[in-house]
Amino acid sequence: MQQHRALILRSNRFLGSSLVNKGLLSSGDLEAANEKFMDAIQSPELLKSASILTTLLYDLKVLDEARLLEHIVDEHSIGLIDLDYIDIRPLPSTEIDLSLCWASSTIPFDKVDDTYMVASCYYLSAPVVKHWEESLEGKVVWYSTSMVSMSRGLERLEEVLAAEKIAAEEAAENE
Amino acid sequence: MAYSVLILDDDVDFNSLLTDIFEQADYIVTSLEDPVEAVEVFARTDYDLVVSDYKMPGMTGEEFMITIKKLKPEVPVIMVSGFLENDTIRSLIGGGVGGVFLKPLNIFSLLERTSELIEESRRCQQNDQPGQASTDSESAVDVEGDLDFTFRSFPCKAQASIDFAEHLYHLRNFISTLTLIGPVGTQFRLICEDIRNFYASEKEHFIYLSPNSFDSKQVLSLFDVAKRSGAERITWVLLDLESMGAEQKRLVTSLSKSSNEFESLDIPSRTIFCVSGDLDELYDAGRIDENLYILMGTAEIRVPSLHECAADVAILAQQMVVDIIKEKGLGSVARFDASAREFLSKYLWDHNYEQLRAVVREVMESNPGDVLTHAAVSAALQSGATASPRARFEAQLSRSRVDYVRAASILFGRDMAKVSAFLGTDVSVVEATLK
Repeated sequence: MQQHRALILRSNRFLGSSLVNKGLLSSGDLEAANEKFMDAIQSPELLKSASILTTLLYDLKVLDEARLLEHIVDEHSIGLIDLDYIDIRPLPSTEIDLSLCWASSTIPFDKVDDTYMVASCYYLSAPVVKHWEESLEGKVVWYSTSMVSMSRGLERLEEVLAAEKIAAEEAAENE
Repeated sequence: MAYSVLILDDDVDFNSLLTDIFEQADYIVTSLEDPVEAVEVFARTDYDLVVSDYKMPGMTGEEFMITIKKLKPEVPVIMVSGFLENDTIRSLIGGGVGGVFLKPLNIFSLLERTSELIEESRRCQQNDQPGQASTDSESAVDVEGDLDFTFRSFPCKAQASIDFAEHLYHLRNFISTLTLIGPVGTQFRLICEDIRNFYASEKEHFIYLSPNSFDSKQVLSLFDVAKRSGAERITWVLLDLESMGAEQKRLVTSLSKSSNEFESLDIPSRTIFCVSGDLDELYDAGRIDENLYILMGTAEIRVPSLHECAADVAILAQQMVVDIIKEKGLGSVARFDASAREFLSKYLWDHNYEQLRAVVREVMESNPGDVLTHAAVSAALQSGATASPRARFEAQLSRSRVDYVRAASILFGRDMAKVSAFLGTDVSVVEATLK
């Protein structure tokens, strides 16, 4: 996770500024969230889950997620998706870096031809969008999703990847 | 030469403010509060321009203007008012007003327009033409009213500077931190003065801290001074943050959180961070640490470059001229001619405000007379005085290098082999340097 430290800092900083600029959050609330965020990133155990969005939604309870999602859909004309209804599997031609998914609250969940379907809670954070579009060579259709949906999606992806790893190890032993 | 201006406003305070503005710009001012008296005085005195309020008892500004235009149509009139309907503005324009300015005034624009109108009026009189210069069409009239507040660091004739000013005004009540991110040479101090001027209260204190002197002792000392003079809130302005040392950056974090050595500061405070350059690049280069990087993200605003505000540049330059003239106690206000103004507007200004200021100062140092030309500006740009700090530093190092080679040459009796061995370079390099 430490390898994504700069992206974590940048994406959270950018998201906070975007939320304030778009009138979805007050500067004072962002400041309080930033304090907690800085505490979190000092701890290697907490770094994985360090997110001002989580703090704003569940800890400080100062951000209305429904309003945020509505804003993203209205202003940026991207789709909304609930990952609970998606069969999340590692994409065949993509080496998914799970830590990057956690760091950016983003999952590429499907691929049609050369185009990836990517769900994110950080669509308002330009560094996240830029990072993924560069790594997927720009062929991305973006979706917004809720933090609950993202967390469950990432946990399921972890399980799938762990099961695949065990299966691969067993297959290697049998050979 | 000094021009004469008649100011008419029944509001004593505002009349006094206008008088100060014009007198400081070296105009000879007659200030009156009664429109009837003003008509009488106007009839028997030669004025170069009239500035009138619109709403006055007994006679509106429009009625006053119509009356004096019948007496001397060649004298331009500027109207000032708190609020005017569009229909009223159109009517004023139809009646021959040369400029409509809404309160609070943009002083830069007011003085700029005053100067333009007088210049046009004089030109028309010299050409023996009717004195309706600049009032024939709406496009010739400078209607200043884009901002509802006073803003001086940019004249706000360009969309980028208007957007910036409005964004800054919107953020003026920031609670704890505000970050100004601008290109190299940005006028951060002037911008922060604008923020301070958004507040009428004398109890709002701004304290400027820069890398040259910033330490905890200085902060505590300045805090005591502010407290003794009745400050109820302090805004710490941290200039050149990217150039501060590691210990200074730690102090910045503590100061903005009122923690550690600053826990005892018992007056509410907030912080403005001023940074030149791209914040992400500074973070990547390690010049801004993680704490500051996040701390600075609460409320941030990008300052436009002069290149983005081309329509502002000539006005800014003219204001700098006025400042220099005041500083030097000169008698008349030199003005940029049309070609110089166009050149100023089109130039890229890589080092922004500071570069423009250096150029204007260089132009004024050359004793250019009353008209500042394109050639004078070009010459100033080419002189070393207005070069970038990097270029100046390179030139200084180059001169030092030559001095060292000469000194070594004297020391070793002009034995080039010894000199080159001493300096660790080739004989050819030493010889070329000495030439």
